[in-house]
Amino acid sequence: MRLIESRALDAFRDECRAWLADNVPREKRPPDGPAMRDFDLAWQKRQYEGGWAGVSWPKDYGGRGLSVLEQLVWHEEYARAGAPPSGSMFVALSHAGPTLIVSGNEAQKARHLPAILRGEENWCQGFSEPGAGSDLAALKTRAVIDGDHLVVNGTKIWTSYGHLATWQELLVRTDPDLPRHKGISWVICDMRSPGIEIRPIKAMSGLTHFCQVFYDDVRIPLANVVGEINGGWRVAMTTLGFERGTGTIAHQIELANTVDRLIAAARALPAPDGVGRAIDDGAVAAELATLRAEVLALRSLTAASVSRGMREEVPGPEGNIVALYFGELSRRVHGYAFELLGPRALERGGAHDWPLHYLEAYKWAIGGGTSEIRRNAIGERVLGLPKGPTAREAAR
Amino acid sequence: MIVDLTPTEDQRMIEGSVRAFLAGRLPVERLRDPANQGGAAEAEAWGELVGLGLFGLGLAEARGGLGLGLAEEALVARALGLHLVSPSVLAQIIAPHLAEDDGLRAALIAGGTRAAFANRIDERSGHLVDGEGAAYAVLLAGGITIAAIDTLGRTEPVDAIDGTVRIRRTAASLPIVPRAAQADRAALLLAAYLTGIAQATRDMAVAYAATREQFGQPIGAFQAIKHMCADMATRAAAAEAQTFHAAVTFGRGFDDAAEAAAAVLLAETAALTNAKANIQIHGGMGFTAECDAHLFLKRAHLMASLPGTRRLHQRRLLGTAS
Repeated sequence: MRLIESRALDAFRDECRAWLADNVPREKRPPDGPAMRDFDLAWQKRQYEGGWAGVSWPKDYGGRGLSVLEQLVWHEEYARAGAPPSGSMFVALSHAGPTLIVSGNEAQKARHLPAILRGEENWCQGFSEPGAGSDLAALKTRAVIDGDHLVVNGTKIWTSYGHLATWQELLVRTDPDLPRHKGISWVICDMRSPGIEIRPIKAMSGLTHFCQVFYDDVRIPLANVVGEINGGWRVAMTTLGFERGTGTIAHQIELANTVDRLIAAARALPAPDGVGRAIDDGAVAAELATLRAEVLALRSLTAASVSRGMREEVPGPEGNIVALYFGELSRRVHGYAFELLGPRALERGGAHDWPLHYLEAYKWAIGGGTSEIRRNAIGERVLGLPKGPTAREAAR
Repeated sequence: MIVDLTPTEDQRMIEGSVRAFLAGRLPVERLRDPANQGGAAEAEAWGELVGLGLFGLGLAEARGGLGLGLAEEALVARALGLHLVSPSVLAQIIAPHLAEDDGLRAALIAGGTRAAFANRIDERSGHLVDGEGAAYAVLLAGGITIAAIDTLGRTEPVDAIDGTVRIRRTAASLPIVPRAAQADRAALLLAAYLTGIAQATRDMAVAYAATREQFGQPIGAFQAIKHMCADMATRAAAAEAQTFHAAVTFGRGFDDAAEAAAAVLLAETAALTNAKANIQIHGGMGFTAECDAHLFLKRAHLMASLPGTRRLHQRRLLGTAS
């Protein structure tokens, strides 16, 4: 436990800050559709040309080849500068790319990594299915080998930006006779392939960011299998916790800003009983102070996670603690607006669209593993408690 | 500047030696014997505690200390919480930082002069905690004060919630000196002690859940119990991360008052909530005096009375403290 002070890192931070100040897009990001995707790709291209794409990705594939520390500094400065979310580039940058770096072969890396960093192509994820959500290993989308191709049939769901992506990281069942976790392969699917049909799904916030994808005899070259055939579960698990919370740093800083916004509102508003300011009311102060304490703790938990990341090759299950904490806190912070602001928080639009942020916040306790699944993982993989009776059965 | 929260090799050694000593010499089970309560076991081990260099650990060498930092003291404080060591040992770690007089400071570091915590009920009264043999009282309430015990007036023993600690009701309180930095520093060490309680109760609950069988399997296999344990781990991790983040960055350009206040609020909640969950997970055994679970709950309540009111820490976090 110590402060790492390095001139090189400070200089790097200054460099990040200066570049971001001059280059963060000033125009508003389109909320939806191809216009949004084009905006995301153009912003990625600009970062690449400025030398800021893939700070910790290998140099051979267009990255900077720096350490997790520089990556963290970049994320922090990125969020502070109010740079746009990676949006439809998120899966490519935070999941598919890192997976290829760890598990892809030379040809796969050379084909895809530079294209991601240059903002030429983006990715979506094809993991969950209608019948395989929390129980991901129950996935049924079938892939049969036919010559030098796989032929895929089935459906995937909760595919964010599926209708706007070039490629997909797709988990398919290549051997239904093997134990559940062993008959799965991780493949690169071209979203423009014949036989793919995409149905966008509207979320409760009104935004349409995710889709259901249907596969009808979709042919994928065997060369697109990442890792071993039937070895896809391991490929997926190696990188599931890869980000260690740094991927959500932008959202964490945004959450801290939301708490600041609530505190500022409490200074301006009258107290619930009409006497004095809201911030001087005991109950209001107690809740706001707790929320501020917890966003500080979230930052500290992430720092602890990054600190472990400097020493371990493969991320441990502790990342679930950060994710659980963030998911639960996110919902509470946005939910408190209704209590503090009263009926004015019901209105959509405005300077800060409280209902939009509140409704969107529910996703953090569901996507990428529900809070309940994360609690299972913490119980079993961090604390070493035995698996439950149902999970034991299914694992056989 | 990057905050690295993994203990260094030296820190691991310091913490390891203190924990090994406490596990051997002051295990929690000692408190089942009334002869060891009220700081008696600690008084017997006093020479060894002095020998471990606990008092003055984080004090500059020029002031007679070992020249280590707040992070090292916080690691020790957490270890004290794990073993429910008398709060007076923590008071003795804090006291040398408060002593202006060179002679007094040296006597506190050498252990010959002893300190104990006081809390405040109102302007005229409070409690003195494990004050047997102590010459000085340390009181946190807004600011922090160290004063000779006799300034607390006549004291009367009271029967308090934590029977393993000797508590006396004082007839006077101490004037508060607004020494913000020292108060925040001491509050952080109390937070660290509380995270020790949160950690110990988490581990005790997990160990029980992994071995106690009902319906033909360990109760920890059931999600109702497993998820309670996961929440205990998350609460403890958040409180610990915040406490140590605040300790490492103390005096280095962060908002120390807010960071320490956050640590105190989260550590109090983590210690109390985990202590309660530990009792619940132990079921009928948890309700008995034969199981140590109740000791952690009682100590958590006592320790939470020492860093000042929650309202005060909330105001610090919101920047509305007067």
